[in-house]
Amino acid sequence: MTRHPRQKESRSLRLYARLLELYPPAFLQRHRAEMLQNFADLEAAAASKAQLWLLIGKDLTMSLISHFFASRLSGYVIAVLVTWILLFVIGYFFYGPTPGRPALHIFGGFLPGMLSMYIATRLYVTPQNSSYVIGVLVACVLVFTIGYFRYGSTPGHSALQIFGGFLLGMLSMSIATRLYGT
Amino acid sequence: MSKSKAPLPLTPAVFHILLALFGKERHGYDIMQQVKADSGDTVKMGPGTLYGSLDRMIEAGLVAKGNTQDPRRIYYRLTALGQTTLRAETERLSRVALVARRQLGSE
Repeated sequence: MTRHPRQKESRSLRLYARLLELYPPAFLQRHRAEMLQNFADLEAAAASKAQLWLLIGKDLTMSLISHFFASRLSGYVIAVLVTWILLFVIGYFFYGPTPGRPALHIFGGFLPGMLSMYIATRLYVTPQNSSYVIGVLVACVLVFTIGYFRYGSTPGHSALQIFGGFLLGMLSMSIATRLYGT
Repeated sequence: MSKSKAPLPLTPAVFHILLALFGKERHGYDIMQQVKADSGDTVKMGPGTLYGSLDRMIEAGLVAKGNTQDPRRIYYRLTALGQTTLRAETERLSRVALVARRQLGSE
């Protein structure tokens, strides 16, 4: 099933080409053309788009996790998470449960913050200048504003803690990608 | 994985890729289709899993690149070590199946 080179690219293929950017550059350099061709073949043979994206979604998730754990960056992320958990456990034993659970809220914001910066770094070479990061920050400010007005009276301002955690996560991953590469 | 001997047991993906390449050079999509057929639709691998596995198998000396003229259709073939490993794993699985059949038969 050979795809004609001049055949019009489908929207699915364009989306898949964008998602491929999440893989390490060295891997893409070796296999990008083959993977795009395979996707086009799978798309042509698939009974439905849902069936195709189910297979591709599972494949992307599993293989990206595998690539991530094979990278040096994974060691850093695991170290950060273990340190966080240790601090949380030590804090709990020494000071007992804190009203409003700020550590949990910050941690809850920290993880998606790290993940979003990781994705941004993979999709854009210079995340600082990209519209993605600006979009994420605008979304953060929006979520924070809504959260502040909705839960502003909550003791400890949990929305503020989550937002702070999110920004800390982004910063932490930004440092990691500069130190260890992607 | 050492280049002189691949560790057994193999993962299902690696075993099926070796099996698909036995006796024939194939490109990525062809390998995926052959694996699907050989496994009776139970092993469905996408491009990410396939090329990740192929990279590791090339590094381990089980598989080598064949025809690379068209970058969209690179062919892969088994090496001598790949064939030996496939035979060894098939033997191992046969012995396991024999033991399992014996145990199940004695119930």
